[in-house]
Amino acid sequence: MAYQDIVSTGSVYKGRTGMWLYLFHRITGVALFGYLLLHIISTALILAGPEIYEGAEAIYKNFYFRIGEVGLMAAVLAHAINGLRIIAVDLWSKGSDYQKALNISAMIVFIAIFVPTTYKMIDSYFELCLEKSSAGTTIVDCMIRPLPDWKTK
Amino acid sequence: MKSVKRTDWGRRTPPIGGTNFELYAWFFMRISGLFLVLLAAGHMFIMHVFNDTLNLDYEFVAARWDTPYWRTFDWLLLTLSILHGTNGLRIVMHDNIANKTFRQLALYGLYFTSTAFFILGTYVLVAFVREV
Repeated sequence: MAYQDIVSTGSVYKGRTGMWLYLFHRITGVALFGYLLLHIISTALILAGPEIYEGAEAIYKNFYFRIGEVGLMAAVLAHAINGLRIIAVDLWSKGSDYQKALNISAMIVFIAIFVPTTYKMIDSYFELCLEKSSAGTTIVDCMIRPLPDWKTK
Repeated sequence: MKSVKRTDWGRRTPPIGGTNFELYAWFFMRISGLFLVLLAAGHMFIMHVFNDTLNLDYEFVAARWDTPYWRTFDWLLLTLSILHGTNGLRIVMHDNIANKTFRQLALYGLYFTSTAFFILGTYVLVAFVREV
């Protein structure tokens, strides 16, 4: 256990992109694990029957949580794509020769997937909100109202 | 930056009298990560892009779990994400909690929580029978 007795002399990383990706990977990883536990609890409520499960789901059906879902998608995509970059550096014999190119490719792939999915998630939110709510509901209502009146239609 | 000719300085020295657990844990993160890219990203796209969570109701979940394939998919996702996440958090705790007592307490808490949530998730996937 000798390594535990080593006194830290400060950062061992050389900074720049690699360090930020390392930090970002840890933060998204811890956040996703926390979300996973909450997600297991809310899904487990399905054993209590349709009313309780859908009552719990109703809490999430508003624009604030839609923003949260976009954030969740960003965290999953960023962690997944950066994870693939790490696998390439670690397990591909040429990986460490192309670190800069891999960093840039990972960011381009992230943006290329994240932008259209965000557009779809936001667009679909307003479309369904207007379709399911009573007549006269506006886009602003869909944004600020905590729970759109799904049942009244 | 100056280019450096690759040498052996990155090669791992096997632990003396220890186990290879850390090596296998490192390798497991890469392999489970590869599967999770398919499982977790697939799950996200199915639930948030191809469908909309505004339409998520009891019937949607019950219909998915009518087939054993989706129950298996969800169970694999549950198992791999908990193992991957637990090992990730174990490393984060080792790196960031200097006090040995606090670190041990945090690790035991993590292992207990992960086991409990794995049992809960598995129970839900096995025991669910649709009511309507």
